[in-house]
Amino acid sequence: MATITKSANLVWEKTKPHLPWVTLITLVIIVGIADANFLKPQNMISLAADVVPLFIMAMGITFAIYIGGIDLSAQSIANMTTVIATVALAMFGIGAAFICILTGAALGAVSGFVTTRLYVPSFVSTIAVGGVAYSVGQWLSGQRALYMDAALRENAFAWMVGNTAGLPHELVIGGTLLFIAWFLMTRTSFGRALKAIGAGELAAVASGLNVDRIKVIAFALSGAFAAIAGLLFAVKLSGGSPTIANGFLLPAIVAVLVGGTPLTGGVGGMINTLIGTLIVAVIRSSMLYFEIDATKQQMVFGIILIIAIAATIDRSKLRIVK
Amino acid sequence: MYELKAIDKNFPGVQALKSVDFHVGRGEIVGLVGENGAGKSTLMKVIYGAYQPDGGSIVIDGKTVRFQNPRQAMDHGIGMVFQEQSLITNLTVMENIFLGFEQQFVSMGVINWSKMAEAARKQLAKVKLDIDPATITAKLSFAQRQLVELAKVLTLEERVDGDLVILLDEPTSVLAEEEVELLFKLVRDLIKRASFIFVSHRMDEVLELSDRVYVMKDGSVVDVVSREHASINEIQHKMVGREVDKEYYRETKQIDHSDEVLASFENVSHGSRYSNISFELHRGEVLCLVGTEGSGREAILRTLYGLDKPSSGTIRIKGRKVTRFRARAGVRRGVGYVPRERKVEGIVVGMNVYENMTLNQMERYSSSGVLRIGEEKELAQNWINRLGIKTPGVNEDCGGLSGGNQQKVVLAKWRSAGSDIILLDHPTRGLDIGAKEDVYDMVREISADGVGIILVADTLEEAIGLAHVIIVLKDGEMQRVFRGFREGKPSLYDLVHHMI
Repeated sequence: MATITKSANLVWEKTKPHLPWVTLITLVIIVGIADANFLKPQNMISLAADVVPLFIMAMGITFAIYIGGIDLSAQSIANMTTVIATVALAMFGIGAAFICILTGAALGAVSGFVTTRLYVPSFVSTIAVGGVAYSVGQWLSGQRALYMDAALRENAFAWMVGNTAGLPHELVIGGTLLFIAWFLMTRTSFGRALKAIGAGELAAVASGLNVDRIKVIAFALSGAFAAIAGLLFAVKLSGGSPTIANGFLLPAIVAVLVGGTPLTGGVGGMINTLIGTLIVAVIRSSMLYFEIDATKQQMVFGIILIIAIAATIDRSKLRIVK
Repeated sequence: MYELKAIDKNFPGVQALKSVDFHVGRGEIVGLVGENGAGKSTLMKVIYGAYQPDGGSIVIDGKTVRFQNPRQAMDHGIGMVFQEQSLITNLTVMENIFLGFEQQFVSMGVINWSKMAEAARKQLAKVKLDIDPATITAKLSFAQRQLVELAKVLTLEERVDGDLVILLDEPTSVLAEEEVELLFKLVRDLIKRASFIFVSHRMDEVLELSDRVYVMKDGSVVDVVSREHASINEIQHKMVGREVDKEYYRETKQIDHSDEVLASFENVSHGSRYSNISFELHRGEVLCLVGTEGSGREAILRTLYGLDKPSSGTIRIKGRKVTRFRARAGVRRGVGYVPRERKVEGIVVGMNVYENMTLNQMERYSSSGVLRIGEEKELAQNWINRLGIKTPGVNEDCGGLSGGNQQKVVLAKWRSAGSDIILLDHPTRGLDIGAKEDVYDMVREISADGVGIILVADTLEEAIGLAHVIIVLKDGEMQRVFRGFREGKPSLYDLVHHMI
């Protein structure tokens, strides 16, 4: 009996890395059969373009999860960024984009600093920083929805959401960021250090890596990506509001985990998150097709999240779960 | 009454138990001895339910049983008195004794404390410990806590039908002589209530207490001797399984070290961990730190590597005073650290061979942060060939390699980074004999190359065999320095005498 469980485990370990893309293709086929329109290139492209802000946020969270942490502030930072982008656009034009990204990175760095220097687990430090970001957004906006001046938006940001030869610019932005994040993770010493921290932090310390600094950078990147997601969202909707990105966090985390970057860190990466985001996108549009009410979507993502965590987590790394 | 039949237990790359047969009779005291890594602790874990065997069966009173966890083993009367005690020190004695079994004292949803105290007193009487059950455990002496632990295990008597088997893991290692006597007397009195399995590395004690002694080596039981027929020498011989061979530690390859000082400690102290440590490490020298657990051996290594800042004293590395205490600075100073926890601190499980080998020197293999992966692979392949690392290739996850090959990866990591001071913390722990010998070969080669080595050895024999200089530590202080080169080596007795 012992040998059976052992070989079953082995089979599971071998299949696990392939589960995400198999799931994606299976889902696409199922939804495609149910609704032939789904498979039309036009539909696929607009589906992908719609999901880009979520994808960018999920890429950011991937940095945090890859080192074995988590970033729960992403949604609040995106919320805040939509407000900052709208307010700053009137004053600084395109410069607003830099302000947004820097603010996001700075808040992420604060989370990283609190986690590494004050020994506060990242799920708490990022919730706290998220609280700050959320309330900055509310304060700046006076708790109202703000709208961008059409002419200013046109000058500064229209390139983000345009369309060239049928290709939405969001996809170009998403693709460029994916390349940057992927390159960072797989081709640089920074990415290697992230992997070492996720897979064996003590060995990383014993090898002389500056683990604290690398963690702070990882959280700063997560914050910056969340801000870019918020910025893109604000441009798409021509305005900002402190609650506009609510409902993003759960699907973004689901995208990372379903893609195959487990909460324990050290494996997975940006390509996984791409697949995970597409899975989320397909599930979302299928929910529309199957007429699942928007209010029930978070329920579905909550359940998927639990299943994804349970399936991917590396239990040998967890002695105690609190 | 309690029997293990042909138990196998495998870990990745290592067979920890090979067809072990073992039995304990009613009221019997059975000794279990073996070198570090012989499989004693794995066998114990199988017995008390922490590990599930991969083959063989456990038979209690003629019935085959399987334990998924220690709780199930306890339900069958198997109790464990841990060496590193399992009591929760901020709870009271009685709370500890009945931890997890408070239900029996609950009426209408509240715990009846006086009833629990009464029951606890009854348990404490069994071990002849006269203390208030409401005492906070932290206030007890170590010996008293051990008795509480035993009392806790003896509660099984009331809970379980059938006989008890109690494991005592190195119970005497922290006790004073008269406390050991008391414990032994107690255990002899308790054989009416339970059988005992007594695990210790102190051969004289095992022989004094046990009716029979199981001798383990390399995961197998190599002999079972009864007390009447046993001699310490004979058992020791069987444990080691060979004539204590000089060449085992490659002593003819030990060469005289140079006079060049690589590192020095001058009156270095670190809070309560160690104080007034002074020594010099020379090029080509092997310097061993020996002492019991907690004597400060490992703490000294960690300070020299740069993981821990000392509270006072001067450390020099290659003539320069060390002021920055960070692992990164240690690496730059040419200090390499081979940690005891190979799989936790040595290698990163989940990263492949070349990723592990360059982890401490990525700046050498990258230009403005971008890694030159081709060169990394080349480096790894070179060292795989040079040290004979058995792996399917440079892309293989290090977690899948055997312990000996993992250790070679760790050594290659530091050698390739050009470290000329290498700190070895239990480098042969958990390795089989062949892999140990590989490590000894490497120690000789590395020191012939002019590297200074500071070693915390797995056994005293290993320290004696490998060292030029042995520093004996006790409670963080230097007791004695032995210089032993080829013929002038100290004896085991010399060392133990100063350790305890």
